[in-house]
Amino acid sequence: MVLHFASWIHNTPISLALQRQVAWLWPFCETVHFAGLALLLGVAGLFDLRLMGFMKRVPISVVKEFMPFALVGFSLNLITGIIFVVSQPAQYFGNPTWWLKVTFLIIAGANALVFETAYGRRAAALPAGEDTPTALKIIAAVSLISWAGVLWAGRMLPFLGAGVGAGL
Amino acid sequence: MEDFLLKLQESDFGVWVSSAPTIFGPDVYPIFLMLHTVGLAMVVGPAWVLDLRLLGYGARLPVETLRSAFRIMWIGFFINASTGIALFISEADDKGLKWIFWVKLVSIAVALVVTSRLRRAVFGGGVAADVAPPRARSLAKASLALWLVAITAGRLMAYIK
Repeated sequence: MVLHFASWIHNTPISLALQRQVAWLWPFCETVHFAGLALLLGVAGLFDLRLMGFMKRVPISVVKEFMPFALVGFSLNLITGIIFVVSQPAQYFGNPTWWLKVTFLIIAGANALVFETAYGRRAAALPAGEDTPTALKIIAAVSLISWAGVLWAGRMLPFLGAGVGAGL
Repeated sequence: MEDFLLKLQESDFGVWVSSAPTIFGPDVYPIFLMLHTVGLAMVVGPAWVLDLRLLGYGARLPVETLRSAFRIMWIGFFINASTGIALFISEADDKGLKWIFWVKLVSIAVALVVTSRLRRAVFGGGVAADVAPPRARSLAKASLALWLVAITAGRLMAYIK
């Protein structure tokens, strides 16, 4: 079923167009993907460390001012990631490590959503200098671990599973 | 030169990096590649956050709080220097002959000089000022650009012959 879907994507005009561009497009997108991951993890990591109780003197709302840059990094990686998958769908859909990466991404996203909806306001109201509640520490730890999982599975993709070697 | 690179690559250590299995499942080589990416995030992530802050973004964040960023960057740099040397040895005869590899090394070397000057300019004299002096701003711009060059050159090592 999934591979059927992969071969359907493979034959869409946009995928065919991307496949013809692949000589320069793929390394370019990979480079953007790596720069994006550094930006995303740098900013999200800073925020997570604050939620874990580091840099207590700084209000959480202040650290949050950097979040737009994490979103820039995430968007760059989402766009380039979609380009990878659309141009070589079978390579990803057929690889269990890619599904592991997607699972970690979903955990990271759900975790961020829980933070925003259930704890965002409470975190912003937390006075500087006060320790963060355990719930926020858990959310921060889940965030760090799931992003590390995304990175781990992403980098292992060409080696574990499919055995397809594009862009080692 | 080529003789030496080939000897490195064919050394016991070089062969171990490129082909040894591990008890975790993946081989040594992909694990080192993955750690190299973790280190990249630990070096460049905090460096870019500091650069952006010095250029005026997130201005309510006291610059002084970013002093500890250097600790994370040092750990990341240690990871990447070690895995980088190991990965280089395992493919010395290939990577060592690529001009893009030397672009990567030079950009990292210059980035390190820039980072140490930036550290001295911003954190060298007691509590860091919240409005960065012009010199620190130029260093921050250079740091942003140099790490991007290093990432780009590193990635292109897999493509440029």
